[in-house]
Amino acid sequence: MGVDLTLNGAAATLSSPPDSPLLWALRDERRLVGVKFGCGAGLCGACTVIIDGRQARSCQTQVKDVAGKTVVTIEGLSGDIAQAVTDGWIAAQAPQCGYCQPGFVMAATAVIAADPKQTREQALSQLTNICRCGTYDAIRAAIDHALGALNAAPSPQKQGSAQ
Amino acid sequence: MSDERKPSRGVKIARRTFLAIAGVVGGGLLVGAGAVAWRLRQIDNYKLPAGDGEASFGAWLKFTRDGMIEVVVPHQDMGQGIYALAVLLAAEGLKAPPEAVRAAPAPIEARYANPVMLLDGLPMDEAALTAPQRATLWTFDKILRTLGLQGTGGSTSTRNIAEPIRLAAASALDMLARAASARFDAPVDQLKIVGGAILAPDGKSATYGELAEAAAKLAPRAIAVPPLAIGDYVGKGAPRFDVPPKVYGRAKYGIDTREPGQLYAAIRHSPRLGGRLSRASIPADAAGVRGIVEGKDYVAVVGETYAAAMAGLDKADVVWDESNALKVSTGDVFAAYRAALDRGADYKPRWVIDAVGDPSGATGKAVKATYDAPFLAHVTMEPINATALVTETGAKVWAGHQSASLVQLLAAGAAGLKSEQVEVFTPFLGGGFGRRADLGYVVTAVEIARKFMGVPVQTIWSRAEDIRDDVYRPAAMADVSATLGDDGMPTGFTYRIAVPSITDQFVARAMPSAKGGLMADRTTVDGALFPFYGLPNRSIENLTVDSGVPVGFWRSVGYSLNCFFFESFIDELAAAAGAKPLDYRSRLLAAAGAYEPARRAHALLHRMGRYDQARPLAPGADGAKSGRGFALTECFHSFVGQVADVEIVDKTLRVRRVHAVVDCGFAIDPPNVAAQVRGAINYGLSAVLFGKIDFDQGRVAQTNFDSYPVLTLETAPEITVEIVNSGAAIGGVGEIGVPALAPAVANAVFAATGRRLRSLPLTL
Repeated sequence: MGVDLTLNGAAATLSSPPDSPLLWALRDERRLVGVKFGCGAGLCGACTVIIDGRQARSCQTQVKDVAGKTVVTIEGLSGDIAQAVTDGWIAAQAPQCGYCQPGFVMAATAVIAADPKQTREQALSQLTNICRCGTYDAIRAAIDHALGALNAAPSPQKQGSAQ
Repeated sequence: MSDERKPSRGVKIARRTFLAIAGVVGGGLLVGAGAVAWRLRQIDNYKLPAGDGEASFGAWLKFTRDGMIEVVVPHQDMGQGIYALAVLLAAEGLKAPPEAVRAAPAPIEARYANPVMLLDGLPMDEAALTAPQRATLWTFDKILRTLGLQGTGGSTSTRNIAEPIRLAAASALDMLARAASARFDAPVDQLKIVGGAILAPDGKSATYGELAEAAAKLAPRAIAVPPLAIGDYVGKGAPRFDVPPKVYGRAKYGIDTREPGQLYAAIRHSPRLGGRLSRASIPADAAGVRGIVEGKDYVAVVGETYAAAMAGLDKADVVWDESNALKVSTGDVFAAYRAALDRGADYKPRWVIDAVGDPSGATGKAVKATYDAPFLAHVTMEPINATALVTETGAKVWAGHQSASLVQLLAAGAAGLKSEQVEVFTPFLGGGFGRRADLGYVVTAVEIARKFMGVPVQTIWSRAEDIRDDVYRPAAMADVSATLGDDGMPTGFTYRIAVPSITDQFVARAMPSAKGGLMADRTTVDGALFPFYGLPNRSIENLTVDSGVPVGFWRSVGYSLNCFFFESFIDELAAAAGAKPLDYRSRLLAAAGAYEPARRAHALLHRMGRYDQARPLAPGADGAKSGRGFALTECFHSFVGQVADVEIVDKTLRVRRVHAVVDCGFAIDPPNVAAQVRGAINYGLSAVLFGKIDFDQGRVAQTNFDSYPVLTLETAPEITVEIVNSGAAIGGVGEIGVPALAPAVANAVFAATGRRLRSLPLTL
C-alpha cells in the first residue's frame, strides 16, 4: 500500500488515501508544514511545490498523481537557482506576514530554472500566486535580484531546483 | 516566535566606534517626573521571570543563557514588523548590534496593556483637546491599564511600546555601566562601550553577558531618553530577523502547530447567517474519522488528518434550523441605509460627533453627492484556525490572534476553566488585518477540543468557511452636501454616514453581558471627523443602522469608507469651484488657520505638488485614457498623501503607479514603513478594483479567490513612498496606506474621463 515517490531527494512512500490532496499528505503525514494551505482550490499558490521540475499546486494534486515522480517542497529546496531566488527574496526583505512566501519562492524557482535567461516580465507573468500583504513590489525586486545574480555568474548551470 | 531566530554565537562586535558612556547614560540625563516616572515604576515593580543563568532587567529586557538580549513584545507580529522594531529599539538603546537582540512574546500581564488602541476610539479631536477631554483620557488610560487588555490593532503597537522599550534599554545600560564600574573599580564616566561590551580605561573589558548577572541585581535608576533621532539602527532599519525563516518556510504559523497525538477538525457553519444546527450524523465507517461535534451554529468532523476530517464532513448528514436565520440581502442593507439617510436629522440613533457652527443656515452654491461601499472580507492568507488542548485542570491554545489576554479569557470560558489555567502560544500570524481581533474562532476551537479531553485538536476553516464566518468591513452609505460661497470655498458642510456600530457588535461578541449603544462609534466615522481643512459650519454625523450582518475591524476600519467618501467629495467641490484639486486643497488647508493637523497636511500637499511636477502623468499607451488623482488623509495619528495614475481602456481600469508621502512623526524603521505603506496600498487596491461581499437571503455569495478576487502581481501598481520625519509624536503605520488610495484612484478616473464614480468597487 502507499504511493512511492522521490520526496526532497529521498525515496518516500505516502500512505494517505491515493485520491486525497497531496497538500495534506505533505502537511499532516510528512509534517512538511512549509507547504501552506491557502484556498484549497488552486487559486492562491500558497501550497506550491515542484513536481518533476514544474510548479504545481499541491491542493489540486492527488497523492496518486505523484507516483514515481520527484516532488520538492520548500524544505527540500536546493541548488544554484534556489539559492539565487532565496537570496533575492532576503535581499528584497520581501516577506511581511510571510505565509504566502514559500509558495512564491517555489513557483519562482521552478519558473527561473526552466529558463534562467528569461526577462523579468516573462518570469513575473508566470507567477500567479496571491500575497495578501501586497509585497508585490518586493517580489519583483527579488526576481530582478535572482535573474541578475544568475546572469552575472559565468554560465549558470541550468540545474533544476528539484533533485 | 523567537525560536525561529538562529542562536547567535555570543555577541558579535559589529561596530568599532567607541562610545563614551557618559554620552549615553549618566548624571546629565537623569530625570524622574510625570509620565517617565510612571513608566519607570513599571520597571521597578516587575521583573520578567528569569531561569538559571538568565538575568532579568525588569519588564522588557532580559539576558538569556545563550548570550542573547531578549526584548519582550506584548503585540503579535502579523507582518507589520513589530518584533523587528522592538529589536531595533533595544539594540539602539543598549548600543548593541541587532543580531545580539531577539524578540519574544511578553507574558500575559496587566502591565503590558494597550490602552492606546481603545483611547483612539473615543470621539474627540486629539489635536484640540479641551480640559475635560484631557481628564477623560487620563482617567480612561488608568482604567484601561488596570484592566490590562493586551491587543494588537489600530496601528498602535509602536506607539504603545516604543517609549517603554527605549526607557528599559537606557535603564539596563545604566545598570550594566554601574556593574562594570564596580568590576573595574573605575568611574562610570571613564568607561567606554564597544559593540556589546564595556571597556575600562586600562583596557580590560567585559561583555554585557558577563556583566548581566551583577547588573541585574542593581536598583534601576530614573533615566531620561533623548527624543527619537536617527542613530545606528533607529531611523535606518536593519535586516529583519524574521525574513530568512519566512523565506525558507521554517517560520511556524498557528496552522503549523503539530502536537503529539493531534487531531484535526473540519468545520461547517449554517449556510445562512444566524442559522442553528438541528442535528448532524456521520456514517460509522468514515475512514480516519474520530467523531463529530455538534455546535450551536456549526458542525465539525474530527479526524486523524485534515483530509480525513474534510472527507468525513462531506459525507455528514447535516440538518440546519434556519427558522431564525437572517434573511437579509445586500439590497435590503442599502435600502435601510437610504431610508435612514432620508430621515436625516430625525433618524435615531444619530450621533453628531463633530459639529462646528451651523450648516443649516449656510447659503451658496449647493453640491450634493451620495457615496456607498460594500461589505468586505479579510481573507488573511492563513485561513482562520486554532489548536486547543483541554484537560480537567488546564488548557493550551495555539493560535494566531490579536489579543493574548482576550484569547486567555475567552478560551477559559469555553473550557470551563479560570484564565490563569489557560496557556496561550502565539506563533507568527498569516495575516491579521483586524480579522484575528475577533476571537469567536478560538471559542469554537476550544469547544471542539473539549469533546476530546486530553487530545490536541486543530480546527481549520476552509476558505469558504473563512469567508462565511468572517466579521465583515461594514457596508455603508453617506450623503455629503456643501454650500460654496462666491469664492468657491465651503460655507456649510454636512456629512452623514449610515453604517452599523462595529464597536457595539465587537463588545457584544467578546463580552455578551456588556451593554452597547452607549457611545458614538467613532471607528466608523474616522476619516471624516475633525478634518484638517477649514470647514466652518459643519456637522459630521453617524446614523447607526444595523442589519444584523456581523461586522468587524478591517484594516483601517472607518477610514477605509470615509476617506473615500470625503476626499472624493473634496474633489467634487474643487471641480464645482473650478479649481485644480491640489490648489483647492491648499486653499482649504490655509482656511484652517493655525491648526497643527492642517500644517502637517499642507507640508505633504507641497510634496505631492513637487512630485506632480517632477513626474508628470504619462500619456496612456495605445489609445488608453490616463488620469492622475490626489487624496490626503490623517489616520492613526499619521498623515498620508497619495498620487495615483490610472489607465482606462474600454471598461478596464488599471492603476499604473502610486506615489505616497507619509508623515508618521518619525520613522523608526524606514524600510519597513515603506513596505507597510506599499502593502497597504495593494491591500486597498483589491477593495477598490474587486472587493465585494454580497448576501442573498442571509447566504454569503462569495466563497474563494475566484468569486472574491484580490490583487496579483499582474494588477499590482508600481509604488513609491516618500517618508517625512516631521518630528511630531509617533503615529501608526500598519494601516495608513489604505485610506487615501481609493479616493486617489477615483479622482484619477474623474481626471481621465470626467466620470465621478461614487460606489466601491469602482466600476466603469
